[in-house]
Amino acid sequence: MTIAATAAALRRAGLGGITGSPLAFAVVLVAMALLLAVPFAHNGYLNNVFRNILMYAAMAYGWNLIGGYTGYVSFGNVTFFGIGAYSAAVLSAHGIDNLAAGVALGAIASAAFAVVIGIPVLRLKGHYFGIATLGIALAVADIVANLDALGGTSGLAVHQVDDAHFTVYYYAMWLVALAAILGTYVIARSKLGYAFVAIRENEDAAAVLGIWATRYKVTAWAIGAMMAGAAGAIFAPANGFIDPSITFATDANVFPIAMTILGGIGTVAGPFIGAVILAGANELLQRYFVKAHTLFFGAMIVVIVLILPRGLVWLFGLRGGLRTWAKSLTTYKA
Amino acid sequence: MSEAALHIEGVGVRFGGLWALSDVSFAVERGAVLGLIGPNGSGKTTLMNVISGVYKPVTGEVRYGGRRIADVPTHQVCHLGIARTFQIVKPFASLNARENVAVGAMYGREGSKRSTRAAFERADELLEIVDLARVAYRRASDLTIPDRKRLEVAKALALDPEVLLLDEVMAGLNATEVEEALDLLRRVNQRGITLIVVEHLMKAIVSISTCIVVLAEGRKIAEGAPADVLASPEVIEAYLGSRWAKRQQQLEAIEAERRAVQQVRPPAPS
Repeated sequence: MTIAATAAALRRAGLGGITGSPLAFAVVLVAMALLLAVPFAHNGYLNNVFRNILMYAAMAYGWNLIGGYTGYVSFGNVTFFGIGAYSAAVLSAHGIDNLAAGVALGAIASAAFAVVIGIPVLRLKGHYFGIATLGIALAVADIVANLDALGGTSGLAVHQVDDAHFTVYYYAMWLVALAAILGTYVIARSKLGYAFVAIRENEDAAAVLGIWATRYKVTAWAIGAMMAGAAGAIFAPANGFIDPSITFATDANVFPIAMTILGGIGTVAGPFIGAVILAGANELLQRYFVKAHTLFFGAMIVVIVLILPRGLVWLFGLRGGLRTWAKSLTTYKA
Repeated sequence: MSEAALHIEGVGVRFGGLWALSDVSFAVERGAVLGLIGPNGSGKTTLMNVISGVYKPVTGEVRYGGRRIADVPTHQVCHLGIARTFQIVKPFASLNARENVAVGAMYGREGSKRSTRAAFERADELLEIVDLARVAYRRASDLTIPDRKRLEVAKALALDPEVLLLDEVMAGLNATEVEEALDLLRRVNQRGITLIVVEHLMKAIVSISTCIVVLAEGRKIAEGAPADVLASPEVIEAYLGSRWAKRQQQLEAIEAERRAVQQVRPPAPS
């Protein structure tokens, strides 16, 4: 079969469109398989770095569902990460150190919060939604910082496993990231995914086609919240300690958004590719430029977004992706 | 056939100080093709928006199958059996034509019974019917204007409607394309789907409608069989202006006088 015929066959099978490039998705799955090998290095530092990449990937997938697929740009998804982390911490404080229980509670609590907040807030559109979610993120962080039951600003200690390399947390995070990737793939190809995209493309037209926009927007946000909440519930014991400035950090809010946009917004492969490149680059820059790393980091994001406004995934375009890309550089696009 | 499907009773819609529609009433029979015409700004699209539940009327109501449309959320109107197209087409730009139609088949009246696969199969059938199968895998944003109009019709049909509102689906089409579109609408109507057609092309609307309603400045000024409605002085005035209407009346008066004179005067000797 020629490449063109393969591409046509894949498009007919439903790939390539709503999920993004199938080649990129395959690359992501291979990369995930390779990441299984990291703990065999028996290096705590490496485990830590790659667990961070997987954590950001899970959060980026969570953001991608609402921001990428449904088109509602949230600046408050860090709240779900924080709720997940505090869920695990509170369980730990009550003597329950089961990782699975923490992940389950973190995911459920985050999703419940997303539903309760989403029903009023998802009525807002565009910038108004973004600002409202940012306000919620700041408010929740402040509330937690003032709750003595949650340790206030001094935070909570979380019980850790007795393992020098914390391999169990690495694999748990890997599983959460894999669930986020596969979950996004399945959702994107289902009726749900088409409802999300229809809302993103034109909410009025979607309503006329029978799509109850509020319901699907809240669903997208809640599923994304579960991904971030689960990541937070593993981060808490892996880090051994949480406080509001760590769990509701600006970095943790902005990184997943930047990663998704960088990798390819509204695609299945984009958030992972963005997470690997941004989190990896951040780690390296931090090592070699102790003071100026944020400068280089920011410059890198600006350059990539300027050159590849549709994300790195676009380079995987089956039909002359590179050629179209080269052409797009010479033609001005608003 | 005589049973009325859709009742529009005393509908009024106000935008600020302007009544876009005032006291519009008529009924649409099941299986009919109702042509809705009127000059620009006469309220045709506003009325379409009221019928499809996008606008709530200030006065009056639209009833379909015993339910007030205003009480039904927009996303449920299509589940009652009312589907519409948009005059300014609203395709889901990043999805291909097939996916656009499949979304309708997934969430329309029969949508809950369909799997994703069944929805795509239905989309393929409909693309065949509206002659879009040739561009099924092209993104909606890459379609030509006539094809986007066809796509609107296919999306509306994917909702399995009983009543289909068509807002200027023939605007911008050439003569052959208009013929094809009319043919398509006739076939749709033959399946028992009631049509409400808004169109500027007088020839097209006369040839397809069983009944015509004329709006001008938000009011209904005429209703009836196509030929009668187009001959009515109010309609001529609304479309061509009062000067033209007066001249038309004068011409008719002169013609009448001429005939009267001819009748009085004996025929010229041969």
